[in-house]
Amino acid sequence: MDYSALYPEIILALFAIAIPAVGMMLKDSKFLAAVSLAGVGLAMLAVFMYFYEGLGAVVFDNGLLVLDDFSGLFMMVFLAVAFVVILASGKFIEGEKHASEYYSLILLATVGMMLVAASTDLFVLYIGIEITSISSYALVAFRKKDIKGTEAATKYFIFGGISSAFTLFGISLVYGITGTTSFEGIGAAVGSLVEFKEMIWLALVMVIVGFGFKVAVVPFHAWAPDVYEGAPSTITAMLAAGSKKMGLVAMFKFFLIAMLAIKADWEMVIAIMAILTMTVGNLAALNQTSIKRMLAYSSIAQAGYILIAIAVGTEFALTGGIFHILTHAFMKGGAFIIVATLAVVAIGERISDYKGLAKRSNFMAFSMTILLFSLAGIPPLAGFASKVVLFSSPIQGGVAGAEWLIWLSVAAIINSAISLYYYARVVKYMYVDELDEDVPVAKLKLPKSMMAAVAICVIAVIGIGLYPEYFIQLCQDAARALLA
Amino acid sequence: MLENIPILSLLLLFPLIGAVVTFSLGKNPKAAKMSALVFSAIPLVLSLLMLTEYTQTSGGYQFMESFSWIDTLGIQYIMGVDGISVPMVFLSTLLVFLAVIFSWDIEHRTHQYMALLLVLELGILGVFMSLDYFVFYIFWEVVLIPMYFLISVWGGPRRSYAAIKFFIYTHIASLVMLLGIFALYFEAGNYNGYYSFSMETINAVSPFFSDTFQIVVFGALFFGFAVKMPMFPFHTWLPDAHVEAPTAGSVLLAGLLLKMGAYGIIRVAFPALPSGAEEWQLVMVIMAILSIVYGAIMCLAQKDLKKMVAYSSISHMGIVLLGFATFSELGIAAGVFQMFAHGLITAVLFMMCGVMQHKVGTRNIPRLGGLAAKMPYAATFMVIGFQASLGLPGMVGFVAEFSVFTATYDAFGWLLLIPVISVAITAAYYIWALQRTIFGPLTKEVDTEHIHDLYWYETLPLAVLSGLIVLFGMFPGLILDYIRPALGTVVGLLGGI
Repeated sequence: MDYSALYPEIILALFAIAIPAVGMMLKDSKFLAAVSLAGVGLAMLAVFMYFYEGLGAVVFDNGLLVLDDFSGLFMMVFLAVAFVVILASGKFIEGEKHASEYYSLILLATVGMMLVAASTDLFVLYIGIEITSISSYALVAFRKKDIKGTEAATKYFIFGGISSAFTLFGISLVYGITGTTSFEGIGAAVGSLVEFKEMIWLALVMVIVGFGFKVAVVPFHAWAPDVYEGAPSTITAMLAAGSKKMGLVAMFKFFLIAMLAIKADWEMVIAIMAILTMTVGNLAALNQTSIKRMLAYSSIAQAGYILIAIAVGTEFALTGGIFHILTHAFMKGGAFIIVATLAVVAIGERISDYKGLAKRSNFMAFSMTILLFSLAGIPPLAGFASKVVLFSSPIQGGVAGAEWLIWLSVAAIINSAISLYYYARVVKYMYVDELDEDVPVAKLKLPKSMMAAVAICVIAVIGIGLYPEYFIQLCQDAARALLA
Repeated sequence: MLENIPILSLLLLFPLIGAVVTFSLGKNPKAAKMSALVFSAIPLVLSLLMLTEYTQTSGGYQFMESFSWIDTLGIQYIMGVDGISVPMVFLSTLLVFLAVIFSWDIEHRTHQYMALLLVLELGILGVFMSLDYFVFYIFWEVVLIPMYFLISVWGGPRRSYAAIKFFIYTHIASLVMLLGIFALYFEAGNYNGYYSFSMETINAVSPFFSDTFQIVVFGALFFGFAVKMPMFPFHTWLPDAHVEAPTAGSVLLAGLLLKMGAYGIIRVAFPALPSGAEEWQLVMVIMAILSIVYGAIMCLAQKDLKKMVAYSSISHMGIVLLGFATFSELGIAAGVFQMFAHGLITAVLFMMCGVMQHKVGTRNIPRLGGLAAKMPYAATFMVIGFQASLGLPGMVGFVAEFSVFTATYDAFGWLLLIPVISVAITAAYYIWALQRTIFGPLTKEVDTEHIHDLYWYETLPLAVLSGLIVLFGMFPGLILDYIRPALGTVVGLLGGI
């Protein structure tokens, strides 16, 4: 059997297994982080080689998995997130027990995400989701003495379990109706369905609920802020930038391949969920006092934006959705890592703790400003470029005839403007407000590795913003590969 | 001489480099000031060169540069200027240069302040020169960020509120405008068979789009521009922003940022969607007249000198829109000229507000009085500025307003009476304000013993501006000769409906 489509996952899984063994001998967090980074780097190299050699679609085992432009791009995104998270973790969890398990689980979670990206079959997709979910339950509870963390993990576990049950039920219904689990097979069968039309709707409802929990789509979002707040900040970065995006990838595959034939039945539901999600997320973010909760709600809103891509369903829209996932991974990942970095030097997680930050660390304040303005969609940053493609796609659909789609753009744009308020508020705290009197003005000494992780995100955000051409093309290729 | 020099890119490049250099001089405020001075002087010199090299008789774009940027979406970096943008570019470089000088006494975070002024210059120049909708929008938004920081860090007591209100209010407007731009982009793409954000490509076909499309999209664009100008009833951000902004911020806000809105109407909305403009004409006229009258009446009621000047801006920008809404060559040319004139005059007015605040410690009109005796130079400039603003013949404001009113009479007949009444109100509030602040008995409410007259860094910008106000008032042709030939296309489009 030809395993070449699986090389990146295999490399990463091997490292995930090896790290606990290495950890038996050397418990140093930084060393383990370096080993994990090597693994991620090798996996990236494998994906890069695939792109470099231009192999087209490499199929594994008659179509369970495929390595193509779409899955390759997402593997790169997930690996990049893992890279940045691990880079920041070396210092962040220094001195804590079970460091080797921590890294091993991050790598395993990444393997799961990559499997989801590569899957062409509902069961493989499900297995990928489960690998990631189970790894992240444990990661959220990593600091087991931390009450908030434990509570978060319990919540996450319960909600995750329920969502998996819903997903599985939906999948089994789909299998029962169509007799296949491959996306293309389902797509063909659904298009020519005569009986069981109502059952397909039931299956759709189940899957929407299941994926909805994973992506934290309103009204299935209530767990997200608590979990994001309670988890260690590096893990929050991974949840927001990685596993949430995995859920969106799963939705892309399910809706735009398997269920494309009956798009008319579900597009309005997804559109309404998109508008609800972005609106609730942004409104709730407005008066948060914890920066992690604020960013969590902003993540919910961003997922709402990305759902636009599914509701519109054109190649251009999907390009925008993929592009926004890519840029959002850097923006949100970077923002949470900044929170993690500042926690190392005992700066709290309340937004007011960021008062006068510019005086204490220019680099951190500047980076946070860039990332937040990019999230708000201020040009010429990456978030603006991806929002342009994503938000303009409903207009393209509207000009072409489906006029109701325009309301998606209108809603997204109003939301984008609302979001500027809470992002700008943080910037105001950092630059405009003076330090509290009991806080020393001395410059902060921040760990270099964590600053490097932040720097990667900021450079990516500025670079993509100034030269989006290359990335838009990557995303366009990916969208074509998925819709082919 | 300039054939091979990318003068427009240089105009953008120097403020950018200047901002970086100035920002990095944090330890040495004096060096930061010098650097800002030099890097704002270079664009001024470049724009003067541009004025001399520009061929006035040709109506099209000149000094064109274009590079492809994002091919997939048809986005190009296209820069070019015509007779409408040339005066605006000159005005921008001039006002930023003078604002830097006028801010010579800024001591709080000097390097950041000066760097932000230069970033602001970059954004404004970009708006006035880009000929690609996408790039135009980027510069349009870039302007917001430095202004947000200028207000929120160096502003007055309610600066936080004013800054965020300004930021979000105008951001929403820009986003609505962006929706309109997207619609133009896709519709033109479907029409042409290829997608491009280039203004020339889109504007070549967009006048043929259906009336419904034009009405809707013109509405979106016009909303974006009307908030920026700002026209009644979308003006509420302006008084707040002005009252709280530092003086240089106010000068650039009123002198240049408001012009962006008017510029957008004449550069984007009219040529792209002439039928839409036709349908919206009545709304534009009503909004313009309401702004003129409302702004003037509000001025009468103000106690804060700066707030009064802010409301007078609304009134004067209404005159610009009224000129545009006549759709005649004279009206549009006068509107553009009024943009230029108001830029010069309002700069003087806001600088005088800054002087009052600084020297006397208050801008509250009832607390002031008789200051002409204590600070004769300041009083002189204040009288010049106020007279110019109320439209005294021989000064630049008169030419613009008179032409707009002539064009209004041609287009709408006796409707002219309503805006003309506002001229009387304008004269009233200015002269009344002069009487209460610098003439009359010396105030006893504030310490007038230790008042200084102007310092050199205040005198110089005020003198330059006053000189130009008189110069262009006597010889309006110096600017109008640039403007008129450039209006052929847009007037033709509007007349052809």
